[in-house]
Amino acid sequence: MTHLSKITVMGAFAISTALTALPAVSETLVFVSWMKDEPGYGDWWNEIIAEYEATHDGVDIEMTRVARDDYANAMFTMFAGGSPPDIVHLAAFEYQPFADEGWLEPLDAWIENSELDLTGWAGQGTCEWDGSTYCIMLLYTGYIMSFNEQMLADAGIDAAPATWDEFLTAARAITKDTDGDGLIDQYGIGLPTKGAGSVMHSMLNFVLDAGGAWTVDGEPTFNSPETIEGISRFKTIFVEKLSPPELGSGDVRQLFIEGRVGMTVDGPWVYNIVKGASDDIRPDLKLAKTPFSPPVGGTSNVLGMPSDLSDDKKQLVWEFIELATSEQFQQRFATLGSSPAPRPGLDYSEEIAKDPYFALFDAANTDAAAAGIDRLPKGLEIEFAEVSKIVLEETQRMLIEDLEPAEAGQRMQDRVLALK
Amino acid sequence: MTHLTETTILTKPKGPRMIDFSAPRHRKKFGYLLLAPAVILMALIIVYPILLSVDISFQDVRIARVGASDKPWTLDNYRWLFASHEFWRACWVTAKMVVFVGGTALVIGLATALLVNQKFKGRALARLFVALPWAVPEVVATVIWAWMLDSSFGVVNWALLRLGIISEAIQFSQNSTAAFFAVCVVMIWKGYPLMTIMLLAGLQSIPEEQYQAAKVDGASVWQRFWYVTVPNLAPVMGVTLIMTTLWVFRDFAIIHVLTGGGPLGATTTLSIMTFEQSFSYFRMGQGAAVGVVTMLICAFISRALVSRFASKSH
Repeated sequence: MTHLSKITVMGAFAISTALTALPAVSETLVFVSWMKDEPGYGDWWNEIIAEYEATHDGVDIEMTRVARDDYANAMFTMFAGGSPPDIVHLAAFEYQPFADEGWLEPLDAWIENSELDLTGWAGQGTCEWDGSTYCIMLLYTGYIMSFNEQMLADAGIDAAPATWDEFLTAARAITKDTDGDGLIDQYGIGLPTKGAGSVMHSMLNFVLDAGGAWTVDGEPTFNSPETIEGISRFKTIFVEKLSPPELGSGDVRQLFIEGRVGMTVDGPWVYNIVKGASDDIRPDLKLAKTPFSPPVGGTSNVLGMPSDLSDDKKQLVWEFIELATSEQFQQRFATLGSSPAPRPGLDYSEEIAKDPYFALFDAANTDAAAAGIDRLPKGLEIEFAEVSKIVLEETQRMLIEDLEPAEAGQRMQDRVLALK
Repeated sequence: MTHLTETTILTKPKGPRMIDFSAPRHRKKFGYLLLAPAVILMALIIVYPILLSVDISFQDVRIARVGASDKPWTLDNYRWLFASHEFWRACWVTAKMVVFVGGTALVIGLATALLVNQKFKGRALARLFVALPWAVPEVVATVIWAWMLDSSFGVVNWALLRLGIISEAIQFSQNSTAAFFAVCVVMIWKGYPLMTIMLLAGLQSIPEEQYQAAKVDGASVWQRFWYVTVPNLAPVMGVTLIMTTLWVFRDFAIIHVLTGGGPLGATTTLSIMTFEQSFSYFRMGQGAAVGVVTMLICAFISRALVSRFASKSH
């Protein structure tokens, strides 16, 4: 063999060896999220990705942003088209159809093998579907009340309402036409009612406080006396025009920081909105425990993996999930996201020292999680969009035709049962 | 020998046969050959999705997955559709909307076309303003209208109250009639400029001699309008009406942003119902069934209108 031939053979061997080894050392995990670049949560993801890439040589995470409004449709399109992201990030209320279609990997074996203890993990029960665990809960929030202290004082009320009756009295006192043009321009309450889901979430405050629930043991209870009492309270607010109609959540928050709405019930994220109020209004805007017991609580977003990944990739994705759920990163979640993390037993003394409201957020989370509250009614997860449309329509019918809440509750019950 | 060889060469040429496309009997084939790329492309981007929708509409499927093995065909989705009160209500709402929006947009479009066809100072600017709503993106325009129509803080309610036309603010989310007309007004506002532009083009193509002859015969302004303008505009009106009808049938953004189909289904058209079933409830089989029926209705209406106006123009 000539010298040239030897070099050629050795070169070919080296190239083929390098090419064979290439996939093993260069792997990219696709991660789609609506939180990319969001202040707080986006920073938390960036830290996890940086840590993961530093500890996983040759594995890159490609994070792409999809707007929240288009998110569910985009994810369905990706899964239905056979190219799901490797790391699946979904809202807690939308993962169920994916699990139901068999698109998500059951995580029970992974959890067991890695000895991840999910006891007391806030909202984790929502991740169970058909007897298996399909995701890890990343955020659970208890609702709090935000109120305009000056408006309450002007109306002769010197303390934040602590019960439904006090809440109603305060709302009646605040609501008025301040410039005499015949239009109410200052409202006691701001309740989001634009869109089917928001009507159901807003109404749930009153239903829970009255001792009701949308479902009990997975069965609809829209016509129980307690639930009907909650529907009745909701009706009172709109019949007496104590809240502006047709508002989305963003509209309510905007009106609140503009001083046109006296009280709202919202998640802890409202605190960041309050910080953005103008200098003359911001000192009047305060947060307190919601006057409703138990408070509405909500699971927010979850992490999982597709079922049709290769075993190697599943292992890599699980290691990413493990990192996100580790004590270190759960603590960072609280710090960066300004909201309690779902992992139990974390020390929030630093966060509370920095901001006393953090204790309020933690207490609301604990209360709601202890009562097992979720905005998503257990047993109606797959049909949630249809159920919330039914609740919206029957609420509209009740208000338009001035029906008794008992009749509205019965109609909701009949229609939801027909769905099942 | 020489003679035989020459005959063979002349009568039986060897090698691959070439088609002479200039020959009269092959001329049509050449036309089809030139059309083929466009037809194949259309088949891929238009016909394939339609066939896919039809296929899904016959399957009992919540979420359709491309490439997954098909479920057996069933008529369940169509049985559900024709037994569904929602579907018939959506048909009725769509029909009302098509008639009201199409009719009003035609009247306003014709009036503005006649106006900007006149010679006056600032005509170019007037034409620009008439066409402006058409140029504004639909979602942007609808969000602005939603703010204007807001029952608590909207300028429309404020103006109506100030003028004494109403004594109490109209709640568009709580009043079926108000919600329906609010959607129609926005659709007309968005849709009439197309009508104006098309009819203006039609007006400019009417020969001036016809008007002069009518004048000589003593025809009044109305008679000239009815017997010269309208017959000449009929084909353009027909085409524009078809376009407007199909637009109202398929329009989704205006209704979705303004009312979401409510209250109580008062603005739920067939397109909103298709979206709801497919992407809100993830019942894609049922959603596809609504879509297929909508497509058939549109095809029928288009065919009927085309035939009617085509026969008028001849």
